[in-house]
Amino acid sequence: MKILVTDDSRVMRQIVIRTLRQAGYDDHDIIQAENGREALEMVGSEHPDLVLSDWNMPEMSGIECLEALRASGSQVPFGFVTSEGSPEMRAKAANAGAIFLIAKPFNEDTFKDALDGVIA
Amino acid sequence: MTTAQRTQPISTLLDPATVQSIADEVWPSLVGDGEAFVPVPVAPPGEVVSAWVDIVGPWTGSVVLTCSPATARALTENVLMTRPPVVVDDEDVADALGELANVLGGNIKSVLPGESRLGLPRTGTAPPRGRLDDVCALAGQWRGDFLTITVQGTAPHPSGTEVPQ
Repeated sequence: MKILVTDDSRVMRQIVIRTLRQAGYDDHDIIQAENGREALEMVGSEHPDLVLSDWNMPEMSGIECLEALRASGSQVPFGFVTSEGSPEMRAKAANAGAIFLIAKPFNEDTFKDALDGVIA
Repeated sequence: MTTAQRTQPISTLLDPATVQSIADEVWPSLVGDGEAFVPVPVAPPGEVVSAWVDIVGPWTGSVVLTCSPATARALTENVLMTRPPVVVDDEDVADALGELANVLGGNIKSVLPGESRLGLPRTGTAPPRGRLDDVCALAGQWRGDFLTITVQGTAPHPSGTEVPQ
């Protein structure tokens, strides 16, 4: 399985990848994007099986990326990993087609709860 | 009447105990197991560095994390779990400190009333504070070293209007 981790923070991408491994998802291909625009391009070129994305990023936000993906017909599974987990943002994410929203701070159990059944 | 005069100050919207409870979740997750922000003030260092995120909404201001450059570096080493001989560079330090401020800011935004927008993290010299009562400051330490978390209103622009975001 190929997972695209999108965050403008290199440090946070490393933490997300480390947490994926700690949660037991350690035998998957991980690719990385620095913002929504790059993620949008990489979904087209790399065909990931899952996108994990920050919300608030320069160039293109995570929600704009998700909306652009769905508008283009892509149904790639998409989940947010973001520092903002208010009910309004969860509703906005779900309405746009996200399958989950993991709020930072998180740990491996948070990842397992959100990803079990999504990652084979 | 300016926006700053209309809106409630942060001291009526947020208390230090809430900020501490958010820090209690952030530190073990990002800094490491068993790590904690301890709300016991220590003497400030001669030189400090800050990372912050802006919140724009019914309440507008910044969530600012401030510590010494050495503490910022040590925090980064913990966040990245680096071990010698691996060293962190200045970009890593700005990134890690910014993400700590970002996660604190995102969680603080979530407990404020109304819909707000969170800015991108920045590092450097902290922005100036606004009204004296528009501050919720938590002075403390990490591993005995000075560290503060400050939620502060935006300083009014000299013309009497808010500083544009």
